[in-house]
Amino acid sequence: MAAISYRPYFSAGLKEWIFTTDHKKIGILYGVTSLVFFLIAGLSALAIRMELYQPGLQYMGEDAYNQALTVHGVLMQFWWAVAIWSSFGNYLLPLMIGARDVAFPRFNALSYWFFFAASVLALLTLLPGNHIRMMWTGYPPFSLNENAGPVAFYVLIIHLLGASSLAAAINLVVTNLTMRAPGITLKKMNLFLHAFLAMNVIQILGVPALAGAVTMLLMDKYFHTAFFDPTRGGDPLLYQNLFWFYSHPVVYVMILPAFGVISEIIATFSRREIFGRTSMILAIWGIAILGFMVWIHHMFTSGVPDWIRIIFSYTTVLIGVPTGIKIFNWIFTLYKGSIRFTAPMLYILSAIFMFLIGGLTGIPLGLPAFDIAVHDSHFIVAHFHYVLGMALTLAVFGGFHYWYPKYTGRMYSELWAKIALVLIMIGSNLFYFLQFIVGLEGMPRRYADYPPIESWIRLHELQTIGSMILGIGIALAVLNLILSTKFGKKAEDNPWQSPSLEWLVPSPPPPHNFDKIPHMPEDWDPYNYDWLEKHHKKQ
Amino acid sequence: MKEVLAYPANYWQTMYEIWLFVAVAIYLVVFIPGAYFLIKYRYRKGANEKAQHVHESKALEVLWTIIPTIVVIYLATHSFAFYKVQRTAPESAMEIKVTAFMWGWEFEYPNGKKVYSFFNSVVNPETNAYLSPDKVNDMFKAYIPAGTPVKVLCTSRDVLHSFYVHPAKVMEDCVPGRITHLWFQINQPGDYWTFCREYCGTQHSKMAAVLKVVPKEEFERWMKEGMQTSNESNKQNL
Repeated sequence: MAAISYRPYFSAGLKEWIFTTDHKKIGILYGVTSLVFFLIAGLSALAIRMELYQPGLQYMGEDAYNQALTVHGVLMQFWWAVAIWSSFGNYLLPLMIGARDVAFPRFNALSYWFFFAASVLALLTLLPGNHIRMMWTGYPPFSLNENAGPVAFYVLIIHLLGASSLAAAINLVVTNLTMRAPGITLKKMNLFLHAFLAMNVIQILGVPALAGAVTMLLMDKYFHTAFFDPTRGGDPLLYQNLFWFYSHPVVYVMILPAFGVISEIIATFSRREIFGRTSMILAIWGIAILGFMVWIHHMFTSGVPDWIRIIFSYTTVLIGVPTGIKIFNWIFTLYKGSIRFTAPMLYILSAIFMFLIGGLTGIPLGLPAFDIAVHDSHFIVAHFHYVLGMALTLAVFGGFHYWYPKYTGRMYSELWAKIALVLIMIGSNLFYFLQFIVGLEGMPRRYADYPPIESWIRLHELQTIGSMILGIGIALAVLNLILSTKFGKKAEDNPWQSPSLEWLVPSPPPPHNFDKIPHMPEDWDPYNYDWLEKHHKKQ
Repeated sequence: MKEVLAYPANYWQTMYEIWLFVAVAIYLVVFIPGAYFLIKYRYRKGANEKAQHVHESKALEVLWTIIPTIVVIYLATHSFAFYKVQRTAPESAMEIKVTAFMWGWEFEYPNGKKVYSFFNSVVNPETNAYLSPDKVNDMFKAYIPAGTPVKVLCTSRDVLHSFYVHPAKVMEDCVPGRITHLWFQINQPGDYWTFCREYCGTQHSKMAAVLKVVPKEEFERWMKEGMQTSNESNKQNL
């Protein structure tokens, strides 16, 4: 390798950060914004848990509670669960396919600055007078009501995020399909890239439905149209159909990349290829396609005809099959491996464990005979906090730790990463498992206050304690990552000995990634760990 | 047969038990081999330093595609059969009309008698804290005859609400401009909660009402109470 030294890209000046079109810098910008909003949403969650500690209203009124819940929902979904993948995708995708940047670098910068504009609007809704209190779903006719707050903010935020997501999705799909270095075939591509391809296709197909729904909402509220207002001939269920047509598939936008991260890390630390790679790819696309055929399960009690509920109950439970295939394949990737228990490996093993519980509790929610009692109860809240809350967050933190040496050129503290994980797992399971139980006992969702039923009070107390432990765990993990950029040990270019392309460039990667576009030989494969050993011996 | 507290909660209970059995079984099928592989194939200095390669196993992959498919289709079909019963009120059911509004409930009985329950009728007016259901003023309680099926026709006057009968484990949204339905039967007299389950604004979390389940004779007496006079005064007005 030529011994040209570059200024580390993260020491760039403010001007460079603002005008950059480098996919790595944009990835970092996404990541930092996303993490800041994750912490805001997390703090609002802790405020919510404090309020639920005892029945009655101790710390905030109903309106403040409803606003905190809306903030928590919107920020966690759009700024964390969706946007954090824009960070991973932007940073890693060009590196993994051997490209120097994405296909449309300026378009890429535009999509981040759309996202930034949405972030500013979201912060503005925190000012007094701008509070939105309609939950992240924003169902009309309530959202047409004064009580909901300035809905125009929400609509504009969704539009900016939608424009940003569409731009990013088109960019990454084109990059992935047209800019792969010679030798990286679709079949040989990392599973991470397959997951991102499917996820971006879902975005392109789904975002217009949500954009249409919120536009109609805006027109109903401010221009007196009557799409959703039943007093003038509209139908509130139309909104729900459009909303969930996007917002169900979006859960796969959130979780498929997490599956991709899990596949990368589990293969690397088992030192062997992914078990059943073809079925893994088919399962990703199976989930993506089936994901568009199940949205009515969000409306099982909303007044749609019973026969539609039955049809959608079959499609919903069938999603369990490709998801199950993925879990079984991961378990059998461990088989005859040589397993290293590093921090990223432990994070993603925890993610699989949490996803398993979340998945198994998702199946009954697809059965109308079961759902009829727990729809809109704390059971469903616990379910999606297992899958999207914990499985996703653990996969993200697994990814943070795994690629940390690549991003920063330094190592995080292994000990603190593991301590944080232990706290996260104790706290989250204490919290969310009891949330299942209080949900089964009937506790309705989105309640600032609840009746003093003896068992509910005890369950809520323990949940709040769990949430505090979880909060401390997350804080420790984030602190470890921040402080290690300064105090961490210098990392090698390829500390995990992975043949995947992003590890074959220096850490942190130079601005142009590759001195010359790599030609990957026939026997190379991102999961062929023996190839790397041979390759290194040759040098 | 031991007496069931409420119908159709018994169907939900059976569905719950079937699912729990299946879920725990699947959990163990994944967790036990997972834990075993993690221990057996861990890296140790001098032992198991290198992984062996097993690309795939067609037989295993077919197995874990077919068996879960059968299991989930069985569950959905079982749910289908139960759901039909949970959604179809017996012929003999008494019909009451429930109208939701921000924030309270209107119950209308077959003879025209109405009961209103508001968000502040279930709380202590001084502390604004929830009362236990037996402490709520009887005036705000919807009386229900014990051991009799009740069909609820539900709608809303303003925004979406949802009527959830706590002991019967059924709910259905109340949608303005539509009439939705559910049915339940509570067999033991007592006071039971119903809650609003669809977010509807400031007082959503206080939008509860109490069902007072009483023996049939007492219910008949209560339903007639107050109606006599109003009917007579109606006649006088005519």
